[in-house]
Amino acid sequence: MVDLDKLRTVAKETVSRDDVKYLIGWSQGTFGFRVSPHFVKEPEEVDSLTFSPLCCNNLATYLTLTEKNPVPRGEEADTRKVALMVKGCDSRAVVQQLVEHGVGRDQVYIIGCPCEGVVDVKKVEKKFGELLEPVQASWENGKVSFQLPGGQVESLPREEVLAQNCLTCRYPNPVVSDILLWDEVEVKGNDDYEDVKELESKSSQDKWAYWQDKFTSCIRCYSCRNVCPLCYCEDCILDRLNPTWVFRSTNVAENTAFQMARAFHLAGRCIECGECERVCPVDIPLMKINRKLYKEVHEKYEFEPGLDPETKPFQASYRPDDKEDFIL
Amino acid sequence: MNNKPKIGVYVCHCGINIAKTVGVDSVTEYAAQLPNVKVARNYSYMCSDPGQLLVKEDIKNEGLNRIVVSACSPRMHEATFRKTLVEAGLNPYYLEMANIREQCSWVHEDENEATEKAKKLVASAVVKARLLEPLEEKEVEVEPATLVIGGGIAGIQAALDIADAGFQVYMVEKTPSVGGTMARLDKTFPTLDCSACILTPKMVDVASHPNIELMTYSQVEEITGYVGNFDVKVRKKARYVDVDKCTGCGICAEECRLKNRVPSEFEEGMGKRSAIYMPFPQAVPAKFTVDPERCIYLTRGKCGESPKCVDACPSQAVDFEQEDEFVDVRVGAVIVATGFDVFDASRKPEYGYQDYDNVLTALEMERLVSASGPTGGKIVLGEGDDAYTPKEIAFIKCVGSRDESVGNEYCSRVCCMYTAKLAHLVHEKIPDANVRIYYMDVRAFGKGFEEFYDRVRREGIRYIRGNPSEIFKRGDKLVIKAEDTLKAMPLEDEVDMVVLAVGLEPRRDSREIIDLLRLSQSGDRFYMEAHPKLAPVDTATDGVYLAGCAQGPKDIPDTVAQAKGAASSALILLSSGRVKVQAQVSVVNEETCRGCTYCVEICPYGAIEMVEVNQMGHQVSVARVNEVLCKGCGACVAGCFSGSIQQKSFKDGQILPQLAVLGVM
Amino acid sequence: MSDKFEPNIVAFLCNWCSYAGADLAGTSRIQYPPNLHIVRVMCTGRVNPLFVVNAFQQGADGVLVSGCHPGDCHYMEGNYYARRRFTLIRELLEYVGVDPKRFHMSWVSASEGAKWKDVVEEVVENAKAAGPFDQFRRNKINW
Repeated sequence: MVDLDKLRTVAKETVSRDDVKYLIGWSQGTFGFRVSPHFVKEPEEVDSLTFSPLCCNNLATYLTLTEKNPVPRGEEADTRKVALMVKGCDSRAVVQQLVEHGVGRDQVYIIGCPCEGVVDVKKVEKKFGELLEPVQASWENGKVSFQLPGGQVESLPREEVLAQNCLTCRYPNPVVSDILLWDEVEVKGNDDYEDVKELESKSSQDKWAYWQDKFTSCIRCYSCRNVCPLCYCEDCILDRLNPTWVFRSTNVAENTAFQMARAFHLAGRCIECGECERVCPVDIPLMKINRKLYKEVHEKYEFEPGLDPETKPFQASYRPDDKEDFIL
Repeated sequence: MNNKPKIGVYVCHCGINIAKTVGVDSVTEYAAQLPNVKVARNYSYMCSDPGQLLVKEDIKNEGLNRIVVSACSPRMHEATFRKTLVEAGLNPYYLEMANIREQCSWVHEDENEATEKAKKLVASAVVKARLLEPLEEKEVEVEPATLVIGGGIAGIQAALDIADAGFQVYMVEKTPSVGGTMARLDKTFPTLDCSACILTPKMVDVASHPNIELMTYSQVEEITGYVGNFDVKVRKKARYVDVDKCTGCGICAEECRLKNRVPSEFEEGMGKRSAIYMPFPQAVPAKFTVDPERCIYLTRGKCGESPKCVDACPSQAVDFEQEDEFVDVRVGAVIVATGFDVFDASRKPEYGYQDYDNVLTALEMERLVSASGPTGGKIVLGEGDDAYTPKEIAFIKCVGSRDESVGNEYCSRVCCMYTAKLAHLVHEKIPDANVRIYYMDVRAFGKGFEEFYDRVRREGIRYIRGNPSEIFKRGDKLVIKAEDTLKAMPLEDEVDMVVLAVGLEPRRDSREIIDLLRLSQSGDRFYMEAHPKLAPVDTATDGVYLAGCAQGPKDIPDTVAQAKGAASSALILLSSGRVKVQAQVSVVNEETCRGCTYCVEICPYGAIEMVEVNQMGHQVSVARVNEVLCKGCGACVAGCFSGSIQQKSFKDGQILPQLAVLGVM
Repeated sequence: MSDKFEPNIVAFLCNWCSYAGADLAGTSRIQYPPNLHIVRVMCTGRVNPLFVVNAFQQGADGVLVSGCHPGDCHYMEGNYYARRRFTLIRELLEYVGVDPKRFHMSWVSASEGAKWKDVVEEVVENAKAAGPFDQFRRNKINW
């Protein structure tokens, strides 16, 4: 299981390598259930690295950081590797980035952390309140154990605290890694797309009413896009003014167009890490939309992104016998 | 010149084709008040000289820099008006057309609805015109060679014309000899020329012409590239005979264990050949071929002690070790002259073709009357002691043509005349024969055709108007059940022989050529020409031409004329040596491209590649389009998430405003 | 007198097959309803599925995308990509609550003038049944 000593040793070794720029991992956040992504450059800093059910951040999003600040004259660009700590879903994001040449395989050193599921902070905060003091957590015998401030320890069943997509997760172990920190975990999740099917069964009017209600709250903060490991276009088509695909006004028609465009661009690419829904400040159920297209791609074309770095990207391929039952 | 768009809108009446339904004045008025429109006119025929002059004068006097022509389909006259712009000194890609004829005035009856729709289409064209950019067509060199697929009369004629003009031709024929269907005919209508006599000299020319490389018993495996630069891979199938040693003496066929046992394709099954064979005595090249599906050695692994052909051949030309050979050639143009198949008469079971030996197709009859055929030109049925000369002979026309029930609604064009010809030949060979022809119509449209038809009737051959419903046997005779519709009388006609005038159909393997060259099919499944009236030999693919029955049923004079037309079109390419490739290519904005390679994967032509560029000190990989290979489909554009690759003249920024205009109102 | 709703339909037609097929319908003088407004593209592969979303925002009540039959694309593969893309956008549109009667795709070849008429009639009938699509409309801007 989770071996923090091993984690820190490996991290120290990695950061000390000549060909590694920095290591990205998780460390304790400043308050409550928060965990912070940590860019470690010096070997001394590795002691603050951790891995626990609170580590929801998908660090793969930092791989495609637009670090393209102009290189000062006389200097060379720093092309050393980035070491990255990944859970199962994070590793799939890395694989998809490899497929799309967003990052080269030799540009990243992948440190795999098999994961038993991370918490949904909103669920946990509902249970314990928004605490100010930092909280520790760990996986114990199929439950999640919280060391609350004041010494109290509470153990809760995973169904009550884990994020929804962790409960249906079929890929808890990193699918690609240069080193695996501990043993692989058992696959506990199974996905029937119940949430998607429930919405599919409603009438057109009900569906429209449901989504219009959600999209009205969108404030176009673009947090979902910023946190997504697969949204890394330097100049997003939905920001552009020439041509203008969507206006920047936050009325519901533009918001709907924005969300649909983002969902469509993620079809066959989204690896269901759930970060978008986590960071949305107005609680739009973004996973419901992304999972709908995930389901369609999986069922109609038998394809799941982020598993095979050698595969052709979904939206750049076809089969002559693809289904076409709706076509006149 | 000021870069601000100054648009001229021209609304064509097209006589009354548009003006009858669309209010051209009201559309012109509407166009005049659209943003950036400086001039708006309407005129009766925009494509005519005075019409084009209007445009040119306005460009000169009013300083117009964008032109919108609302008229027929751009597929009709876009090229015409592009030329007009060039003549007026404007880049030809500053033109946009609104289709208010084929897609408006001709299909909507209500004048109000048609006019409102025309206004919207004009507004859409104007908004796009505002955003057009000047484009240059790149020029590429043309390889001075042509590929002719098919060695029938169409392919032969086209090849000879091109070769005589001084250019290299590669001719690929599937069967072991050139000649096609014409080599299997006896006499040709209406002149009664001996088919082989007029064809064989041309066959010999094609084989001996210094500019023609003839590859028989060969197939085209793959064609890649684009106009002026096609890369062709040809498979030369193994004959199992060394053509350099083979003298065509025929001893191998005499000795073959399967002598007279294999139905001959050339004789339409009416005669037999050996497993090692020459299709017909005048075959070009005059070499033998082993049939890999019938030869005992090839199918079972051994033929007696040793194959008789190997032993008998005085030049030791038989070589069972031979393998298929692959040849790569580069050509500038391709001519498809693959011919036709006849209708399979067993698909009309009511005519008893499968049941009775004395029901024949016209092609089988053709072999029977041929002097070089299986019966030496005698019309004889049965074999040995049972052989007899039929006296009561009937022809049935329109078998498999003009018939929706078998999926061939079209007329096969040649059957009326070849039936008259065959009927005449019967009369000549069997003077006391009683010949009748069952018909729906008689189509004798060509030069000398009506005269021939008259002659045939004067010889006593009866034409009965009525389509027989069935043929059955009664004793020794066949009975044709029909209605004589001119007399309004049903009849049962007892005959000795029935000849079915089967129609022409597209080749059963036509799909292979379609896949090779992206050809389209017309509704009748023959290959589709670019325009039925004005471009009958071109196809939608530049540099690929059609000749002969591959494009539709036709007789020999029309085939030869079309072959000459295809040759001429190919020669235009070859003799100018250069060709312009289309300008509406895709281009990458390397600043925003994030190197995901989706466009590279998507492009069907491999026209996009990744290149390393230096952006502010970093080495990044971005996409770049090869403008000569790009065909302008735009599949890459729709697949690019960042919108970095755009197709000139069809950019997102040019299409989105059209959607805005079409939505409003 | 009933105020009959006439839907406004935007159609994307590929130049080589469907546009030519629609032209053939014109040459054959086959009559059909005038609700479709055609945007000509070279290939259905060019049509970005987000054009459909944009068209609805700009005022279309229905959208049609029509191209060559699979296997017959003038550019070999464009319609295969289109098929995949539009299958997905159709699912997404329906999931968000857009009446599926509003979006159609068809294969119409250059010789199918008669089929074009049938396609137009079906698309118009469906869009009529779905009614005016005001809810997605972008706020009107004065150019």
